[in-house]
Amino acid sequence: MKMKRKIRIAISSKGRLNQPSIQALQNAGINILREERTYISETSDPRFEAIFARAFDVPIYVQYGAADLGITGHDIILERQAEVHELLDLGFGKCQLVVAVPENLKIRSVKDLPAVMRVATEYPNLSQKYFENAGKQVEILVVRGTAELAPTLGLAQIIVDVTETGETLRRNKLKVIGTVLDSTCRLACNKIAYRVFENEINELIDKLRRGGTVTK
Amino acid sequence: MFKFQDSDGKIVALRAEMTTPAVRILTTKMASTPKPIRLFYISNVFRYSQSYLEREREFWQAGIELIGCNTPEADGEVLSLLAVSLKKLGLKEVRIDVGHAGLLKNLLKITGLEKEKKNVLQGLLGHRNEEQLKKFMNQNDFSSELKEAFLQLSSCRRLEELSSVSLKSSKYGKTRNYLKALLEVKEALANYGVENLVFFDFSLVRKIEYYSGIVFEASVPNLGLPLGGGGRYDKLIEKFGKLKIPATGFAVEIEKCLQALTAQSFQLPKDGKAKVLVTSKFRDTAVKAVNAIRDAGVVALLDLKKSSKNEILRYAKLNEIDYAVFTDSSLEKPAVIYDIKLGTAKNMTIKAFLKNVKKGE
Repeated sequence: MKMKRKIRIAISSKGRLNQPSIQALQNAGINILREERTYISETSDPRFEAIFARAFDVPIYVQYGAADLGITGHDIILERQAEVHELLDLGFGKCQLVVAVPENLKIRSVKDLPAVMRVATEYPNLSQKYFENAGKQVEILVVRGTAELAPTLGLAQIIVDVTETGETLRRNKLKVIGTVLDSTCRLACNKIAYRVFENEINELIDKLRRGGTVTK
Repeated sequence: MFKFQDSDGKIVALRAEMTTPAVRILTTKMASTPKPIRLFYISNVFRYSQSYLEREREFWQAGIELIGCNTPEADGEVLSLLAVSLKKLGLKEVRIDVGHAGLLKNLLKITGLEKEKKNVLQGLLGHRNEEQLKKFMNQNDFSSELKEAFLQLSSCRRLEELSSVSLKSSKYGKTRNYLKALLEVKEALANYGVENLVFFDFSLVRKIEYYSGIVFEASVPNLGLPLGGGGRYDKLIEKFGKLKIPATGFAVEIEKCLQALTAQSFQLPKDGKAKVLVTSKFRDTAVKAVNAIRDAGVVALLDLKKSSKNEILRYAKLNEIDYAVFTDSSLEKPAVIYDIKLGTAKNMTIKAFLKNVKKGE
C-alpha cells in the first residue's frame, strides 16, 4: 500500500520514561529533532514523527489512532484498559506497582489490612481489581503523581504506586506489603496502524531489538 | 451498554447495535418471508466511549443484514457491498480485514487450556507479539503441529495464504473446514473484483459475542478506529424462537466515515447548479421574478432586507451565489444582472437570462 502520511510515535513528555524512550529510538536509528515548544517533532527518519504526551495518555492516543505507536509502561496500558497491540517489551522502565503503608503500622501483608479502607493511587482500575481479588473493600482516591504523600497528609493510610528502587517509599517512611504488578516499557501499536504500516513497524521492532547495531 | 431500571423494576437498555433488533423483528414479523432476506437500516445506537476523539454517546450506523444464507457467495456479497459502499462515499485506500470467530474458538479449544490461560493466549495473539507467543506455547507444551498452526495463521495476511496452512491430524477436521470456507469466500471475492482490498487477520475479534463465522472490519489508513464491521452470526436467530437461520451483515459508523473523509481532505463535489439572488424596489416584480426563476428549475432567493446594491453584491459573494438580479417595475423590462464571479453587469429580461443560465449548466 502506498504510504500517504508519516507514522506517529507517542512518547512520554516528561518523567522517568522520557529519556530512556528517546534513547531507545536513537539506538534504533531514529533521532528526534525536537524543536522548542512544539509537540509534533520530525525525526531523522522521514517515515516517522514523534509526539510528546503524558505517559498516562499514551495508551489512549494509540488506541484511538491519534498516534500509531506509543512507548509507555505495561502498567499504564493495563490501567487505561487500552485495546492496543503490545508489540515489544523494551526492557527499560522496570518497575513494580506496589501496595505500601506507613512503616510504623503493624501490617505485614494485604491480608492484615482492615476490611474497609481508603487507598490513594494514580491507578484506580488496577487497584480496584487487586483489592477485589484480595477480598478487600476499598474506597479509592485518585491522586496525580504524589500518592506517597497521602499517608503523611492523612488522606489515606494505604497507597498503590509504582516504585523502581523503593527509595521514594523509604524516604516517605513507607513499606511495601504487596505487589500488584511487575512492569516494563512496551511498544504499543494501534491495531489499524499495524495493518497499514506492518512492514515499517516490523522494521522498527527489529531495530529496537538490535538496539542500534543496525547494518545498512 | 446504557442500562436503566424501569418504574416497575424491569431492566431496560438503550440499543448498542442494530443486528439484534433487526433479528427480533425478523422472527416475529417476517418468519414466512422467502429467504434470503436483505434488510438495511440507518439508525442511532448508544454506547460509552472513553475517547478524546469521540465525546458523544449517540452514534449513527448504516447497516445491512443478509438472512437465510450461509454460502460463500453470501459472505462475498456482504464483504464486497461493504467495500463498494465505502468507496462510493469517496473514501480512498479502503481495506477490509477478515478473521474467523469459529476458527479462533476451535483452535483455542484444541489447546485444552483452562479458561484463564486461553484468555492469556488470545491476548498474546491480539498483541501480535510473536516472541511471547512462542514462549507461551513452549511453556504450555503445545504439539509442534499446533504451534506451527498458530504461528502460520498469525503471519498470514492474505486469504490465499491460508492454503499453505497444513493440519494433518484428525482432530483438526473442523479447523480444516473453516480454512476451506475462508478460501471459498476468497474465490467469491475475486469474482466481485474486491479481493485485493481484503486481508486476513487471525487475531481479529469483534466485541460482540454472537459471531460464529467470518468477522471483519473496514478501515482507512487515516483513521485509527474501524469505520465499521460485521460478520456471520448463524446461531443468533434461534435464540429468539425456534427458527434456525444463518445470517450475516455489517454496520458502518457514519460519524467515523465523516471523520475519515475529513482526514482525507474530501471535498464535496459542486452540484454545478446556478444560484440567484433577486432584489427590486418593486416587491411584486421581485416575487414574480423569483417564482419564474424557480419554475425554471434554478435555485433563487429573495432579498428580504431592502439592502443597498453593495450589500447585495457582498452578500451574494460571501454565500457563493452566482447571479444577483435587480428587476425593474415589470418582468418585461430588462433587469440588471450581475455575474458575481466575473464581476460584470448586463441588462436583459428574466426570460433571456434564464435561457443563458440553462445553456451554461
